[in-house]
Amino acid sequence: MNATLRHTGWVLRSNPVTTFAAGGALAMVIVAILSPWIAPFDPVASNVPNALQPPSLTHWAGTDQLGRDIFSRLIAAAKLDLAIAASAVGLSFAVGAVIGSFCGYRGGRLDRAVGRIVDVLMAFPLFVLAMALVAALGNRVENIIIATAIINLPFYIRFARAEVNVRRNAGWVEAARAGGDSHMSIVLHFLLPNILPTMAVQISLNLGWAILNAAGLSFLGLGVQAPTPEWGIMVAEGARFISTGQWWLVTFPGLALMLAVLCFNLLGDGLRDILDPRMRT
Amino acid sequence: MGLTRRGGLKAALGTAFGGVINTALPGTAGAQSRAETLRQVMGGTINTLDATTPGATREAFGAGMAIYDRLASFGRKQADGVWTFDFDNIRGELADKIDRSADGRAFTFHLRQGATWHDGTPVTAADVKWSLDRAVSAKSLSAAQVATGSLTKPDQFRIAGDHAVEVMLDKPDRLALANLCTALSPMINSTLAKKHATADDPWAQAWLKENTAAGGAYMVESHRPGQQTILRRHDAWKGGADGKPSFFRRIIVQTVPEAATRANLLERGDADLSIDLQASDISALQARGKVKLVAIPQTNGFTGIVFNTRVAPFDNVKVRQAIAAALPYDDMYKAALFGRGRTLFGADWSEAPSSAFPQKLPLRTDLAQAKALLAEADMASGFSTTFAFAAGAAATAEPAAALIKEALAKIGIDVSIQKMPDAQMTTMAVERRLAFFIESGTAWLPAPDYFIRTYFSGDQRWNFSGYKNAELDSLVQAARFETDAAKYDAACRRMITIVAQEKPTLMLWQPNQDAVMAPNMEGFTYWFHRQVDYRDLRRA
Amino acid sequence: MAVFRSIGRRVGRRFVASLPALLGVVVFTFLLMRVLPGDPAAFFASGPNAGQEEIDELRRQLGLDRPIPEQLVRYLYDIATGHLGRSITTGQPVVRDLAERLPASLELSLCGLVLALALALPLGIIAALRPGSPIDHGVRFLCTLGVCVPTFVSGLLLIYAFYVLLGIAPDPTGRLDIFAAAPPDITGFLMIDFVLVGDLAGLRAAAAQLLLPAITMALFVLAPLARMTRASLMTVLGSDFIRTARSIGMTPWRVIMVYALRNALLPVLTIVGIVFSTMLGANVLVEKVFSWPGIGSYALDALVASDYAPVQGFVLLIAVLFVIVNLTIDILYGIADPRVSIE
Repeated sequence: MNATLRHTGWVLRSNPVTTFAAGGALAMVIVAILSPWIAPFDPVASNVPNALQPPSLTHWAGTDQLGRDIFSRLIAAAKLDLAIAASAVGLSFAVGAVIGSFCGYRGGRLDRAVGRIVDVLMAFPLFVLAMALVAALGNRVENIIIATAIINLPFYIRFARAEVNVRRNAGWVEAARAGGDSHMSIVLHFLLPNILPTMAVQISLNLGWAILNAAGLSFLGLGVQAPTPEWGIMVAEGARFISTGQWWLVTFPGLALMLAVLCFNLLGDGLRDILDPRMRT
Repeated sequence: MGLTRRGGLKAALGTAFGGVINTALPGTAGAQSRAETLRQVMGGTINTLDATTPGATREAFGAGMAIYDRLASFGRKQADGVWTFDFDNIRGELADKIDRSADGRAFTFHLRQGATWHDGTPVTAADVKWSLDRAVSAKSLSAAQVATGSLTKPDQFRIAGDHAVEVMLDKPDRLALANLCTALSPMINSTLAKKHATADDPWAQAWLKENTAAGGAYMVESHRPGQQTILRRHDAWKGGADGKPSFFRRIIVQTVPEAATRANLLERGDADLSIDLQASDISALQARGKVKLVAIPQTNGFTGIVFNTRVAPFDNVKVRQAIAAALPYDDMYKAALFGRGRTLFGADWSEAPSSAFPQKLPLRTDLAQAKALLAEADMASGFSTTFAFAAGAAATAEPAAALIKEALAKIGIDVSIQKMPDAQMTTMAVERRLAFFIESGTAWLPAPDYFIRTYFSGDQRWNFSGYKNAELDSLVQAARFETDAAKYDAACRRMITIVAQEKPTLMLWQPNQDAVMAPNMEGFTYWFHRQVDYRDLRRA
Repeated sequence: MAVFRSIGRRVGRRFVASLPALLGVVVFTFLLMRVLPGDPAAFFASGPNAGQEEIDELRRQLGLDRPIPEQLVRYLYDIATGHLGRSITTGQPVVRDLAERLPASLELSLCGLVLALALALPLGIIAALRPGSPIDHGVRFLCTLGVCVPTFVSGLLLIYAFYVLLGIAPDPTGRLDIFAAAPPDITGFLMIDFVLVGDLAGLRAAAAQLLLPAITMALFVLAPLARMTRASLMTVLGSDFIRTARSIGMTPWRVIMVYALRNALLPVLTIVGIVFSTMLGANVLVEKVFSWPGIGSYALDALVASDYAPVQGFVLLIAVLFVIVNLTIDILYGIADPRVSIE
């Protein structure tokens, strides 16, 4: 444990990019939690006479078409966006890892059947699948989460299956089996925790991707419902104003979106380095 | 020596840029034809060349107007410096003389001498008869439309000589002639079309989707649905008001889905015309002054907030009136439409002052009254509801929805907003499963009774609010055949008063038809079908 | 020869094995479209005065008045006989629409991929040669930045900068300047067709039109490619045969270029396959922004309108391409590394 910590510390020190990413991600989570208290304005209160004002000392990021304070909306959106990304990734990880682990551990007919279903999902144009799912289920937050989770699922199943497959005949698994543990218990208590760190990399990379996915859906009108602040919608709405000169409408939400995705991606990369045994030598 | 070397260098440079020079050559030769070419960019698609095809898009109606002729055409008039169609002034198009019988029950159309189809064959009375028969018989969009002018069966159409056709009516319907001017009454080259008819498809509907048998001002040069359609001028066309061929030799109609891109193309001078830009882009384009903007309120249309009057709580007129008194009309108009249109709210009358419709209605913001009305409806504590709009209309509907939600919260009504894909929205509206939503409508024939018949009576989908009112229903049926102008006027005023009091739909505004075009374009006219009529346009 | 025979067997086996997945895709899409709350008949029967009668008529024409199992059987029969139905949005048979638009999407995706590889390979290599250095971090940062911007934003920004402000890019409306003459339709790939007829000006015009959307796509896939190149090269550089090569005094350049890179590119090849399949399915937004007449924007319009046939056709096409790309990668892998066939 101590060695891992020391290694982590070393990676963070020698790897400023990862440190930056970890700090950024942490800051975003804090902002999201504190959003109701730190937003200077009500994020949904309109003020039409004050619409489309450029950034100023009062409105740091300007105001939108309805005169709402963009900075406050950005902060409020952090909560929703992070929540969508975290739940979607959490859901697909939870389901995918369990299914994948069992398949990898048991093999046989179950494994082949699940493999077929995964093949079907993988062959889909995933973004279009997400669109169709959201359209079919109705564009509410929970359905966006479900759609994002479903299109991520095959990757988690495959990944978990492969990781467990490598370990299923390892000495410590044999030992647990000899010790009388049930298959269920072996998978849940030994194998899953063991593959967790490797999957953390995937999770971190996926968080960023899930945010982008939600933004893409919003761009096509299949995202979170207005007037709820959400980065993707704000970017999509702001994109309409790129050519009319109201640059702040797309720039600030775009930067927020970029920063979030960037942090999670770099963090995932960093995690990979931390976990990569070759780096420890 | 130096001279030769420089000469050699020059020659070498010439060769190096040879490609550029060569491509520039057809460019200069093409400049002539570029001036006579019109490039329109639009978000939609011309999905069929036969505007009567079920499922035809609005863009297909516009194309149909240029490709086909009709027997007659609305005129056009200039008011406030802009051209609009003139519903009250109908002239012949394929016909050069129209005789109307004294009792108003028969029309005789004398076809223009020497009129030819695109393939050069002469237009005959038999062609016209076939086309009219097709309009009432084929399973197409036409039948329902022309029925609004009491044109329902083939024996109403009679060949009265080589170049004359008679149209007979049971009752003197006010809209019979107008219905022969719309995009759904095209005149078709029947000899050509019949060659492609089959036993299953006697009216050649399948073939005409992708081919034309027409004689209008333009012929189709190429048609790639979803990408572009190119039209070429029919030089022998004489159906215009002045009998001359149209100005533009070539029309390129191109689909460019992204509205901001369309605006960019106009601003850079690469495209000549677009009528479907976003309000925000239009204001910016106007401010920068590189394009010409012709803004014409869509006088035969409206955008309104619809209540489903067949479900609770909106079946209660007090609830509808309460909401009407709570909405921030001015803010909505500014934020959603950027003030680009004509308002229909803000009037102050209890009896309609004129029979024109749509006209300004007595809709004003008064929160105290809204609360009182809600209390009268036994809903003082408010209720929850859902407000829906189509994703395709999001640019204006989304800000309007946010403002509605905010305003109604003040009188205790909790609104959740639902943006849905267009097809879903339409389906739910048709099945009357939406309670409260925003919709737009246009009446092709802007007669007040037709407008009210379409949007406030009956079971058809355009009666968005499912409104039923016995008095209005009987008035609207009578007005249709009313020949006395004063009685007609009184009936219309009464119907408008009912709609204004009962508020099945809160008519908010008439958005502009904002046609953005190259500065040297002239003659743009607003037409009932809300599309460009290429025959009006010219370059200065 | 044995190698090729074994590859052929493998490919055949893989292809047969992928048929159930394709069937699954077809059935799943079919059902998913029917679950969509939008009714295409109600949406398209939108003419003035269209009533229930028009809606019913359209439904009958589309065959939607039949029970769903019957519709499915008919659809499967249609697929087996090479029909994919008719699009209401464009009014054309779906097969014709897809055949016309597929080259546009393939051309765009391939160019995006080539651009991405041209950037990702060198970046990945220099990062792998100096792991942990500022160069490495810089490369990683740069590549990740590309993934972070949604393609619809980077696309719009590129248009704004290069078309609106600078005016150096051609208008972003499709594959070819609207006033330019199109080449004869030989392969459907404009650039290839221009080369075939020897029209260099046309080739340049088509390439200019392609550049911005291809860059937009390339930015988005840069990161996985560069990352994989770096990781795989680093693994190879640490292996015994490289040490041997170095120890016998080969120049570092030769070691890297000839021995390390050739071996490191195999895993990259796998990623390229995955990336290419994703690009084909995911260029929906790019096509939309650039008015690119590809299959993605086609499917998108159809989906919004609940137009079943084009969406089903699109998904099936992408699934088939996915299988083909995987097979191609398999074959390339088999040629590059004969050991694979022994498995």
